[in-house]
Order: sequence, then structure tokens, then C-alpha cells
Amino acid sequence: MTRNRVLLSAALLLASSVLPAMADDIVLGGSAPMSGAQAEFGQSQIDGAQLYFDQLNEKGGIKGNKVVFRPLDDRADPRQGTLVAQQFCDDSAVIGVIGHMNSGVTMPALDIYSECGMPQVVPATNPELMRMGFKTVVRPVANDFVQGALPAKYVTEKLGLKTAVLVHDKTVFGQGIAGVFKDNFEAGGGKVSGTHGTNPEDVDFSALIASIKLENPDVVYMGAGMPQLALFLKQMREQGLKAQFIGPDIGFTVDFITQVGAASAEGALMTFQLPPYDSSPELKDFSERHQARFGRAPGPYASLGFANAQVMAAAVEKAEMLDREGVLAQLHGVTVDTLLGPVAFDENGENTTAPMYLYVVKDGKFELIKQ
Amino acid sequence: MFDYFLQQLIFALAIGAIYGLIALGYTMVYGVMRLINFAHGEFFMLGPYVYTFIFSGLVGLGGLAPVLDSAIAIVASFVIIGLLGVAIERFAYRPLRAYGRLAPMLSALGMSIVLQSAVRVTVGPQPVHFPAIVPSTPVAALGGMVTTVQLGILAAAVLLMVGLTLFVNGTRLGIWIRAASESWTTSSLLGIRVNRAVSLVFFIGPGLGAMAGIMYASYYGIMQPTMGSVIGLKAFTAAILGGIGSIPGAMLGGFLLGAIETFGTAFLPILSGGLIGTEYRDVFAFAVLILVLLFKPAGLLGETVSEETTVAKKDY
Repeated sequence: MTRNRVLLSAALLLASSVLPAMADDIVLGGSAPMSGAQAEFGQSQIDGAQLYFDQLNEKGGIKGNKVVFRPLDDRADPRQGTLVAQQFCDDSAVIGVIGHMNSGVTMPALDIYSECGMPQVVPATNPELMRMGFKTVVRPVANDFVQGALPAKYVTEKLGLKTAVLVHDKTVFGQGIAGVFKDNFEAGGGKVSGTHGTNPEDVDFSALIASIKLENPDVVYMGAGMPQLALFLKQMREQGLKAQFIGPDIGFTVDFITQVGAASAEGALMTFQLPPYDSSPELKDFSERHQARFGRAPGPYASLGFANAQVMAAAVEKAEMLDREGVLAQLHGVTVDTLLGPVAFDENGENTTAPMYLYVVKDGKFELIKQ
Repeated sequence: MFDYFLQQLIFALAIGAIYGLIALGYTMVYGVMRLINFAHGEFFMLGPYVYTFIFSGLVGLGGLAPVLDSAIAIVASFVIIGLLGVAIERFAYRPLRAYGRLAPMLSALGMSIVLQSAVRVTVGPQPVHFPAIVPSTPVAALGGMVTTVQLGILAAAVLLMVGLTLFVNGTRLGIWIRAASESWTTSSLLGIRVNRAVSLVFFIGPGLGAMAGIMYASYYGIMQPTMGSVIGLKAFTAAILGGIGSIPGAMLGGFLLGAIETFGTAFLPILSGGLIGTEYRDVFAFAVLILVLLFKPAGLLGETVSEETTVAKKDY
């Protein structure tokens, strides 16, 4: 009797694990770091996409087929990312992938996805990704050219600041974005008086800051990750260096403000690809639904995950055949009005109108600067 | 320019004091056991975590005055990490003593991974904000800016170093340690309980490491599970620079490494006209180490090589 019960439950278990993907279900993959230091960012993307697919299924799915979203954790690790890519490729049911979040993870995975003809919506922001000649990818989000250009324009035109010092961590991302800032800052009539490289794991910037203090710049732009952005600003203020601090999207997290201290963080500028959740009725509605579905407010990249899911779903909707080839044929030509605005792609697969937002730290919170 | 030099000197002293404290743990263990304790960086990392745990526990229980709470948490961290060090020596190194030098060293590497992963799994891998124990107020001094945290670090580190020197040179327990590091066999023949000396060293070393960790975390405002790896390596370098096995050597090595790093960052770009940037700081620090070892293989204050130690070093 007990053995029968065990067998029965085993059979049920087996059946239930197979059940969700019925023959005519549309299976879409998603990948981002869901554990590790960047889990907060990655999980928010996955949640956002899940929310859209849930909504779609409530309305009857795509052409009467239910959408099954299958998220996998890439741990922000390029090695794990390529394994995930291979796993999606090997599963013939998967006809599209949204991922990966990190440029460094996306880059080696591109090759694998392109090999198996997998349509891919990419949330990573390194400009190079779309210039490598892969025909299977589109990117609705703004790249780092836009991200470096916006604050340079703002400080030269609006604030009238003239001199800048650049600090970067010698990574592809940090060095790249600092270079973009430099080009735009100089084009706006500013002067870059020095560029300093650090090691990505550095925590002590005091000696460097003392030497920057001698140059006394108006602006310090830092292309680096966390917690280095926070550590640098904290030590900068401790030494009484009052220059305008600007950082990229990685610093757009509450941790940045707690680690720097609200008083020292005041006035720091940060670029981010997404508007705040209270900036439009659609986004307010989105946050409420997110709260209702997951029991928590949307994380930093939730709206991006939602919009990426909208793009992928639109391509699937237009596809004549529900397979990779069919979706791929529609991917580049798709035009959608997403949660974050209209999306249409150029010949490289970049969004022609991708927005970028500038935030300032005010009273311990990030506040959008109206352009 | 002189102000600039003084300012950098203050930074060099603060970070050098931390390096020195950690280096003491490496050097004392090496002195007594001829073992490089690769898990030592993890005691440094555990310090602020244990401190935070106890401090928030005390505050959660209603707590006393904040100053008293932190004082209790600091002392408790020293004792807890010290006991952890003793336990690790007892169960992970001592049973392997008979199997040459390599086995305990590999065991130490393993312990390092175990401790780091344990924190990563239980507390999480992300950097956590660590509130400064002393509020960080900048004070103008000597034409530069010093924060109260930097002054606190220097004062506490010097106090601990002086205390350790007095302890090792002036007390009965200190004699055990010195005797055991001079000659293991002779001192055991003369009735010194060498294993007690080892346990003592494994109590003090990790305890000092934990203190350095707490200072470091309140200096930079964060703690994370991987923070012990790089700084452990740096402190190990400091210990070698000063002469591994020598207690004053470790302190000197720490301050020296701090100075090389800081002045390297501060003056290399200026002296080379921007050709060599601040990212070459570590290259510079390790180049100095190689030079010292080339001309003075035992380190700056290393023990004069006697017949017996040469034999001991050969079988290493």
C-alpha cells in the first residue's frame, strides 16, 4: 500500500512537472542574476516579465496559446550564462529568450543563441553588443552611449560646469562609459583635466582623492560598480572635495545612499534607463499590479522586464509559425507601444527612441531631474 | 606640496596600522609553527560580522549606553574570534602536524573557503553597510584633513601593538611564545607546554585580525564576505616585508606597505607625468617586496638565520 502511494505520488510529481508545457504552449526563456550580489536587479527584471505574461494569459494568451515563462539564474557569471544559453537552445520548445542582464554575460552567450537561431531581447547596455553582427538580437533599452552623453550635456549646459576629472575601474563597462562622458563633456565646451584608473576591487581611494583635490575639478565622473561608487563618494566628502559627483546606473540603488550616508550623498547625480514608478498613470498602475501579484513594490528593473516581455510577445504575435524562425522573422520589424514608450529598431537592433533619465539624490532619495 | 605629503602620510598611517595588525597574526603563527595560516584573512572578515551581530543583539535586548554596547561587542568579538582560531587550530591543523608542512597549509586554505562560504550563505554575498563606531568628523590637522575614525584606528592599533609587545616580552605566557618560536624541541624538553603556546598564538592572532576587521569596516563603511581575501594577501606581504616570524617586523612591514601604496598612488602619476596611473599601485607595492627579498631574503627585521632555523627552512 505504502509503496503504491509512493509510486502514485512519484507519477503525479512527474506529470505535474511535465504538465505546464503542453504541446501548443508558447515557451519563452528569461535569464538574469537571481542570486548573488546583483539578485535585486536581476529578480526585478524577471518579476516584471512574469507580470506581463500573467496578464497576457488572463486575456487568453497569444492566439489562444498559453505563454509559459521559464526564468533561469545566470548568477551574473559569464560561465553560468553560456550554460543557460545552451540549455535554452537545446530545448526545442523555447522559441525566444529575454536576457541577459549583464553585458559581460550577454557577450559570450550571443554566439550560442545565434547558432541555434534563438530570437533574443537583450537588456544589457554595452554599445558593442549590437555591433557584433548578430542578427538574432534586439535591444529596447538605451545603451551606454546615451548613458554617458546625458549627464555630460546636463552639467555643461544646465549647470555650466567647466572642468572634470574621470575615474574608472578599468573594466569594459567603466572605462567605456567614462570615455563616452569625456567625449561629450569636451564637445560641450568642458575640459577634462585628468583620467585615473583604479582596480575594480579597490576600497581605499583616499590617496587618489587627495591628488584630485589638487586639480580642484567642478565634476568627478566615475565609471565603476558597487560598492566602489559609494566608497569613492564617501571618502571624497570626508576629505572635503565638493565637486559634483556623477555615476552610472549601477549606483541607482538604496544601498548607494545608505553606504555613502544621506548627508554626503546629497546632490550626487546618477543616470538610469527607467523613469520612476510614480511618473505616469501606466507606471502607477503597473506598481499596484506588481504589489498585488508579488506582495512587494517593483524592484529597480521591473518595468524594463515588463517592456521587454511586451516586445517579445509582439514578435510572437506577428509570427506566422510559432517557432524560432517565425519569431525571428518578425523581431527586427516589430513596433510596440510599451510601458516605457514606443519601441522600434534600427538596422543594428537598437531602439531608435530609447530614453535615459537623470536622477539626483535629495533628502536620502533619488529624484528625477525634469529635462 | 608639503601639506599634500602630510595628508598622504595620515592615510598611509591609517591603512598601515590595519595591515600591521593583520600581519601580526601571520607572523606569530609562522614564528611558532612555521605554518602560513591562509585562513587568517577570514578572521579579519568575521570580525565586523560578529561585532554587528552582538551589537544589534544588545541593542535589540534594550541595550545600555551605545558606548558600552560597542565596547562589549568589541571585546566579545575579540574573544569569540580568538576562540574560533583556537578551535580551528585544534581540529583542522593539529591532527595534521605529523604530515609535513603541506597538509596543514592545505587545510588552512580549505578553512578559508569554508569560513567565507559560510558567511556568504548565511548573511548573503552583497556588501552591507557598517555604521562607524566613532562618528566620522573631519578635523583639520597639520594642514590636512583627518577624520576621527582615522585617529581612532591609529590610536587603537598602536595601543594593541604596544600591549602585545609588553605581553610577549614581559609576561610568563609571553616567554612560552618566544621560547616555542625559538626552538620547538628545546622548549618542550625544558618543560614548556608548547601546545599551550600554540593555542595562545591562535587566540591572539585571530583576535587582533578581528579588531583590524572592525576598524577597517568602520573606516570604509561596508563589510562583505570577500573582504578578507585581498587584504589578507596584502598583510601577508607586509609580514614578509618586515621579516616573517618577527613581531616588530610585522608592525614595521604593515606601516611600510601602507606608505608604499599610498605614496605610490599619490606620487607615481605626478612623477611619471601621468604615464603610470594609480592603477599601478599594487604593482609598485609588490615590486618593492621583490626588491627587499632579493637583497634581504629574511625580510627587514627577519630573524638572523641560525644553524637550526636553516635546517627547519630547508625541509619546508
